[in-house]
Amino acid sequence: MASRRPASGLRRENDPPLLILISLADGPKHGHALAKDIAAFAGVTLGPGALYGAITRLEERGLIEPLGSDDRRRPYQITSPGSAALAAALADMRRVTRTGLARLGLDGGRA
Amino acid sequence: MLRWYPRAWRERYGKEFLAMVEDSLDGRRPTWRLRVSVAWAGLRERGHQTRLTSQKALLRSLTRGWLTFQVAGYLIAVLPSEFKASPPPARQWQATAALGVLTAIAAFTGVALLAGSVAAAPAFVRYLQAGGWPKVRRRIAWAAGATVAAGGALAGLVLASLSESFSQLNGSPTYLAGVLATSLALVVALWLWTSVITTAAKRLDLAPRVRKAEKILGMVATFAVSVVISVNVIWYSAIQSSVFQLLLGLTALAATALAAATKIRLAARSGRRLRSASGRGR
Repeated sequence: MASRRPASGLRRENDPPLLILISLADGPKHGHALAKDIAAFAGVTLGPGALYGAITRLEERGLIEPLGSDDRRRPYQITSPGSAALAAALADMRRVTRTGLARLGLDGGRA
Repeated sequence: MLRWYPRAWRERYGKEFLAMVEDSLDGRRPTWRLRVSVAWAGLRERGHQTRLTSQKALLRSLTRGWLTFQVAGYLIAVLPSEFKASPPPARQWQATAALGVLTAIAAFTGVALLAGSVAAAPAFVRYLQAGGWPKVRRRIAWAAGATVAAGGALAGLVLASLSESFSQLNGSPTYLAGVLATSLALVVALWLWTSVITTAAKRLDLAPRVRKAEKILGMVATFAVSVVISVNVIWYSAIQSSVFQLLLGLTALAATALAAATKIRLAARSGRRLRSASGRGR
């Protein structure tokens, strides 16, 4: 089945780039802190390969940027286009969620 | 573990990646599962880099080919005619207007290219300080040599043009050969400098904002070149008194304007969508 992919490159569900952007939305974090935070709020364990693959793509698209660091743990922060892309992806997900809940009769009939 | 990743990736992310692996292992030995997943991620990264490199190589080759086509096409189509004929009085305004537009676009494109160079300059300095000079030294030497040769030829042409009248120059095959040789030397010098720039540019670590600015400036320069082609055709039509060529030039100009307007509209729509989504998310 063909899937629709937004211009930001963010997909739905447990997409590592989306989880990373959500994690960075409340402040800069380095790799290990990101993995721990994502495991805590989403219950998804991202290995180093998957995490850094996603970080590489997000940085290429200008959605996150590295901060200066003296030690090996380089923190990343979300950029303005990153915040906008995250907001667009989350709004999209909220619309789908509301529709699903409404059809199940669990959201007061709002769709 | 990092050997599965491409060299450029290792240089950029290697240290922090290993720091993260060490943090997550917390003193334990890496499991086979971790090793396999890292190897798989490294191979995927290699695949991505290969696709990216081939896209960049295609883009560079298209850009070079396009620029060379422009200069060569211009020389072949316009210059020889210009020596033999000037526009008829009724079409003088058309040639003057076209020349004015060409000059304005040349200046505008020059400013865009200068802005792009200034924006990339800090990253270029960082690249040279990080040991990049030996990688571009030989190309710069060739480009500088070609520039000196082209400059010398150009100075010779200027001196020749000062000592003879226009009618003598227009009838002189030697002068025409000199013009063509000088143009060729300029094209070679431009080509070599392009090679220096593309070699250095693919190794520069540009900030996301600078990358975005470079992309926009590149787009502006491409549209400017497209306008130059159209105006060249209009200018040529004035010299040849050809209505067909005039219509061709005007059609090409309209097509370029339409393409630019579409591109701007799409970019504005995408920006509006992102801004409104950002507003809703707050």
